[in-house]
Amino acid sequence: MDPEQVDEFVMGYLKKKGFNSAAKHLQESLHNNNGSTFSSIDYHNDPELNKLIRSFSQSENDPSRYREGYSKLRSWGYNSLDLYKHELVRVMYPVFIHCYMDLVGKGHTQEARSFFNSFRKDHEMVHLRDLQKLGGVLAPSHLQEMEFARSLRQSKINIKICQYSYDLLLQYLHRTESTLMLGIINEHINFQVYSGQPNSASDDIEAVTIVGSFHETADHVNQKEIHWGLLEDSLEDRLEKTGGLLSDSEKGQGESKAGDMDDSKKRSAEIGKQGSSIKKLKKDKAGTATTKVARQETSTVLSSMPRVKPELAMPVMSADVEESILEDLRNRVQLSSIAMPSVSFYTFVNTHNGLNSSSISHDGSLVAGGFSDSSIKVWDMAKIGQAGSCALQDENNQTVGLNGRRNYTLLVGHSGPVYSATFSPPGDYVLSSSADTTIRLWSTKLNANLVCYKGHNHTVWDAQFSPFGHYFASCSHDRTARIWSMDRMQPLRMMAGHLSDVDCVQWHPNCNYIATGSSDKTVRLWDVQTGECVRIFIGHRSMVLSLAMSPDGRYMASGDEDGTIMMWDLSTARCITPLMGHNSCVWTLSYSGEGSLLASGSADCTVKLWDVSSSTKLTKAEEKNGNSNRLRSLRTFPTKSTPVHALRFSRRNLLFAAGAISKPSS
Amino acid sequence: MSIVPKETIEVIAQSIGITNLSPEAALMLAPDVEYRVREIMQEAIKCMRHSKRTTLTASDVDGALNLRNLEPIYGFGSGGPIRFRKAIGHRDLFYTDDREVDFKDVIEAPLPKAPLDTEIVCHWLAIEGVQPAIPENAPLEVIRAPAENQIYQQKDGPLIDIRLPVKHVLSKELQLYFQKIAELTLSKSNPSLFKEALVSLASDSGLHPLVPYFTNFIADEVSRGLNDFLLLFNLMHVVRSLLQNPHIHIEPYLHQLMPSVVTCLVSRKLGNRFADNHWDLRDFTANLVALICKRFGNTYITLQSRLTKTLVNALLDPKKALTQHYGAIQGLAALGHNVVRLLVLSNLEPYLSLLEPELDAEKQKNQMKSYEAWRVYGAILRAAGLCIHDRLKIFPTLPSPSPSFPSKGKGKVISTEPNKRKLGVDSSENRSPHKRLIATDGSDGGPSPMQVDRPTGDANPPQNSVRPSSSEQASDGNAPESRNAKEKDDSKGRAITRKAILDQIWKDDLDSGRLLVKLHQLYGDRILPFIPSTEMSLFL
Repeated sequence: MDPEQVDEFVMGYLKKKGFNSAAKHLQESLHNNNGSTFSSIDYHNDPELNKLIRSFSQSENDPSRYREGYSKLRSWGYNSLDLYKHELVRVMYPVFIHCYMDLVGKGHTQEARSFFNSFRKDHEMVHLRDLQKLGGVLAPSHLQEMEFARSLRQSKINIKICQYSYDLLLQYLHRTESTLMLGIINEHINFQVYSGQPNSASDDIEAVTIVGSFHETADHVNQKEIHWGLLEDSLEDRLEKTGGLLSDSEKGQGESKAGDMDDSKKRSAEIGKQGSSIKKLKKDKAGTATTKVARQETSTVLSSMPRVKPELAMPVMSADVEESILEDLRNRVQLSSIAMPSVSFYTFVNTHNGLNSSSISHDGSLVAGGFSDSSIKVWDMAKIGQAGSCALQDENNQTVGLNGRRNYTLLVGHSGPVYSATFSPPGDYVLSSSADTTIRLWSTKLNANLVCYKGHNHTVWDAQFSPFGHYFASCSHDRTARIWSMDRMQPLRMMAGHLSDVDCVQWHPNCNYIATGSSDKTVRLWDVQTGECVRIFIGHRSMVLSLAMSPDGRYMASGDEDGTIMMWDLSTARCITPLMGHNSCVWTLSYSGEGSLLASGSADCTVKLWDVSSSTKLTKAEEKNGNSNRLRSLRTFPTKSTPVHALRFSRRNLLFAAGAISKPSS
Repeated sequence: MSIVPKETIEVIAQSIGITNLSPEAALMLAPDVEYRVREIMQEAIKCMRHSKRTTLTASDVDGALNLRNLEPIYGFGSGGPIRFRKAIGHRDLFYTDDREVDFKDVIEAPLPKAPLDTEIVCHWLAIEGVQPAIPENAPLEVIRAPAENQIYQQKDGPLIDIRLPVKHVLSKELQLYFQKIAELTLSKSNPSLFKEALVSLASDSGLHPLVPYFTNFIADEVSRGLNDFLLLFNLMHVVRSLLQNPHIHIEPYLHQLMPSVVTCLVSRKLGNRFADNHWDLRDFTANLVALICKRFGNTYITLQSRLTKTLVNALLDPKKALTQHYGAIQGLAALGHNVVRLLVLSNLEPYLSLLEPELDAEKQKNQMKSYEAWRVYGAILRAAGLCIHDRLKIFPTLPSPSPSFPSKGKGKVISTEPNKRKLGVDSSENRSPHKRLIATDGSDGGPSPMQVDRPTGDANPPQNSVRPSSSEQASDGNAPESRNAKEKDDSKGRAITRKAILDQIWKDDLDSGRLLVKLHQLYGDRILPFIPSTEMSLFL
């Protein structure tokens, strides 16, 4: 390059940037020295500097440079060797969105739009939701306003890349002198270079998720210690202690119930405890010996688990409730990939598109629905079953709907759509949350509203009782989750940290933690005692809709809008494996009593059963091999055209499902 | 630039009273409007998800506005979708159709029906991991189809694994249904109700568990009731309905069904009374067989070959009764022209020579036998004719009907008139099926094939009206004889006039032409009605 030209560029640059005095000095010195060397750096002969200067001299505001640079980088990336391609392609997405935001930020709306539309196809498969959000950004002010865009701008994206790919990329950028792309990559991407072979394309889901400033904090947060063990002196423990009684009592029951079997078979519509006991009896007859062996196995496994002390003051359980739970646990059917559960389906009819949520009590006898007309309806299935079978005998029946009365309990009190209605573990309370920002507690015995909890500032999406009752957690559009106890009007704890709505909440079995799923595509685990976030689970590609904790407290499953279910290991905060199979929203998840099966219900009108026990065992062995895609879909139960809203494994491992029938779309 | 054009902003500004909005301002506002609308829609989608729905509704948008602390949209929600109309004179201007409602009409209108109250019904979705086949559950084979094109297909292990329960438990309702259908089929007393039952069989889902019972039932009844014509007909109707039902997976039971069906086609004797129109049943069954072959031929490859083998064996066995031959021919004809061409036409000459003595009235004294023989003759003529018709359709058509044709046809009709009457006489009892059998080109039921190729059918009705009276009177033993004699004379006469011309043209034709010549030699002019008029004109 001509030295004088270079001087001109430098002058121009200095002037443009406002370094007027520097420019003046430069001019003077140029005049004085008449083109000879005037500084210690011989920038005329340094090719790198030359390039840099030239790139500065180019008109900075030319929007077509972005398109040019990106399309070159893109075609280079896609044409690279297959071995490194996926790593290089991974870089494209951040470059793409930052190019777009740069263009918008500089006010080239038109160019930004056309740039966005011509390349968005590449990323739609993985980042559809983000692109939908970003697509609306058209003015610099929107960038400032929109939280998602702001967090993208402020934070760096971590990308793991192997040494060779990294070198390739740098070489390419230098060779083609695409300083613009280099600038974007330097500014917004943080490469974590590792030596050795590149990872296989699919195993690192985290790598492609971009969640603002999460990653640094997530890594930090996930270092914290958590105790995922079950509580000391839990009911399972007590069951184990009374293990000696177990076989005797089982025999006794087997005999006593054998008589009932015939007539209870006839009334197969009557669900509830009866239903599970029928099931149980069948099962027992099939293989009493094997189940016993299995039971002992699991009990030893349970006892080997670490135990923790409760951090909350636990409510005292009444003796008869405890007895009934113990009874249920003793009669639990052992499920595995060979022994499948029975599924009883409650179908809501005539909901007129108004059913927002539904839930089933632990014994399956009560079903609650939260409706968009602010009402809650509770059905007692045991009563309906009886009414169906002995309607002729009961002539002065008050609750049965045969004579035109409704056969459910109507709970009215909310002033907005009810987004959740859940039962307390013994089934004596219903907790509901609504768009009117309140949570209400209802008694199923009195059929009346007991308390109205006010505290949230926005719609409360979900509220869940703790496994032992008394405490409950709620989550809201105001981006917080809160812990409450039934006897206080104010929340006990407030968990803030999610970057978007908190959509679902779930308690850990030991009551010391809650998990929350959010529209920011993460799941967080919070310590109930301190209110701190102790884990961040990153990997979902869309809003998290459902959560479930394994009964042993070690694993968690979360389902999202796209139909992906992820199994997480709580201690490492890593995804064990994604469970692919559903093709629409996963509304609900439930673990079986001993944690060997996971049931999922989805908007694609199916209930799926997943084998999670084998996988968790296998992963220990297979961790070295790096092959963990072992979780299998065991069964799919399609419904006629009923999206599955709620699932619940009873304590005896009968699976209850509920959903509102929708007309076929065709 | 933005999907909201600046004109929209201007129109909205005008509608709220801002008349002097500068174009720059509108241009600035447009992208912002788009951004806000997108924002609200994203919130609305959130509300939709929490309402556990996958379709966005107006209430979701209301919810989103509420979440954003915005004024809700006031006014009535209408049940239906908003209808936009085009403004006359403007290309891109639309407005919502807002009808004026008369208060009086609203007040006087009867109250709408109260909506049904929400209820819960429960059923077993699965019992120990197996889905029971009950009406509440999705029918099995309907599920399998969409599962194949699911987006996420896991390679290891099938997603859907539905086994029928080992113990086949029928619900009370299904048992009752089966009993009713069986009763209706056997009773034969209530045709209208039976028709309804057939419709139900052809359309109801959830009948799948009954299929084995139905196949058993049909097989039993067919083997038992060969003398009962109406029962057989009913049973075949049931088979047809079952085949039509899209929710039934009948393939595994086909091997049980086919023998019964084929029996109804080629059995020596169907029904015990003379009045039983077993020809009709054979025709119906032939179509049924063709339907089965068409539907399951792909998956069940040996089906058609086995079937045709059976039928051809029946046809070529001279010891078999003529009724059996008839069934075989009809079955083969229903299977398509290729089958006819390959199997029937190749055996046509020997077979016709076999049939000749039966047809000849002098040799065959038994009137019944002779009638049967003519029946078979008609069927084979029809099969061959349709086949040649199909062949000729491939020919390049020359749309130039010769002007002399109509007059010629007219003359022919007149010349054959007595002949036709005799034919009608002969089939005094089974006239209608015979007519339908032969009248293929959809004319109004000319009794002989001759009449069909006549371009104008106006001479027909008077003939028909005259015929019954005369036929009743002339119904005696020598009628068939006279007819045969007449016919022979007739065909001879006409053959002479035309054969020379036809042969001349066909000489340079392809093998289909030769085939036609051959057929013509065998049948005389009786084959001509099957030739499309344009081709006909070509030959003439």
